[in-house]
Amino acid sequence: MKIVIAGGNTQAEYIIKSYKSRKNELVIINPNKATVERLRKACMVKIYHGEPWSRIALEQANAFDADLFIALCESDTDNYAACQMAKKMFNAKKTICVVDNPANVEHFKKLGLDAVISSTYLLAQSIMSESSMETLTKTLSIDDNRIAVIEKVVLSRYAICFKAIKDIRFPKYASISAIYRNYQIIIPSGAVVIQPKDTLLMVTAPENSKNLLKYVEAERTEPIKPAKAEKKPVKEAVEAPAPSAKEPEAPAKPTKKATKKKD
Amino acid sequence: MKRSFVIGCGKLGASIANELSRRGLDVIVVDADESSFALLDDDFSGDPKVEDASDLDALVDIGIGNAGEVYVTTGNDNLSLFLAHACAIEFRIPYVYVRFDDPTLGILVQGQPNIKPVYPFQLSRDRLSLLREGSEQQ
Repeated sequence: MKIVIAGGNTQAEYIIKSYKSRKNELVIINPNKATVERLRKACMVKIYHGEPWSRIALEQANAFDADLFIALCESDTDNYAACQMAKKMFNAKKTICVVDNPANVEHFKKLGLDAVISSTYLLAQSIMSESSMETLTKTLSIDDNRIAVIEKVVLSRYAICFKAIKDIRFPKYASISAIYRNYQIIIPSGAVVIQPKDTLLMVTAPENSKNLLKYVEAERTEPIKPAKAEKKPVKEAVEAPAPSAKEPEAPAKPTKKATKKKD
Repeated sequence: MKRSFVIGCGKLGASIANELSRRGLDVIVVDADESSFALLDDDFSGDPKVEDASDLDALVDIGIGNAGEVYVTTGNDNLSLFLAHACAIEFRIPYVYVRFDDPTLGILVQGQPNIKPVYPFQLSRDRLSLLREGSEQQ
């Protein structure tokens, strides 16, 4: 993959280090002389000193036909100009424009940039999702908050647990895209039975995410009916705080009292 | 009557604003630095506004979306490019005039019929070569 990294200081360093490999061709161009020197020493790569919105500088750096063009300059409008130049004159497949002012996200997109990222915007988004959902739930918003990807760990007391997907009448406004179980990804089909501790990755519209979580978290009212085909792992079944789980408590009480009396 | 906006009140912006005002047009001139309005005429009839032009929403608040024409004369080419694109594409203002110091930026406004770019560099160069030809002929 050919990647052009335009401007940026510590962010540029991090991205250079994570993409630096034989598979990727990196073109790094930075307008700040001191940063160029620092990055050369820190990353041991070739870095062009020049303005990434200047046609001549991009030509000299051979920034043509990049698969990815990342603009990390301090000024939002510098990044805007660099991305426009990369798209129109250098045939960049995808441009990522980093902005400081969250209000620019919308304007830059309207003017034809495909990805505009504001750290303030992302921070606000993640604060909102962290504070509104339970700890076991993570949400990720894609494309201006039009798609929500929700990660939810299944507890054994949930009604959907131990049931096959085809039997649970999953809401139509959402779908389970993947199940993460024992460090493996399961692509769900109707026959897959949901187990405790499964992590469900669900996709829905943001306005439906609360209803979706309500549905998933609904607790079981009737006793567990074993699913037909799948064998239930015995250990996990025991963990379920089903009505039968109360039994061991009764014999435990006298022993506690006995120890107290000895004191 | 639709208003004329002049963004950037430097030497060029101020003289455009003065001329539009003399012609009796309704002018709003925007600059982040209030002291730059000293360049405006004493009888300037327009409306000077202190706003940071890189904050597009601030310009929207003072009504740039309904402007009849916009002159972009900031000192920063990249900011001018963004403002010209926003005025022409997002707000569909029929006449957007923009000054660029770097002529190569002109490619990025090509094909946008309502953006008219001006390059002082090229204008001076062409004028100087005309003058030289004239003196050679004498």
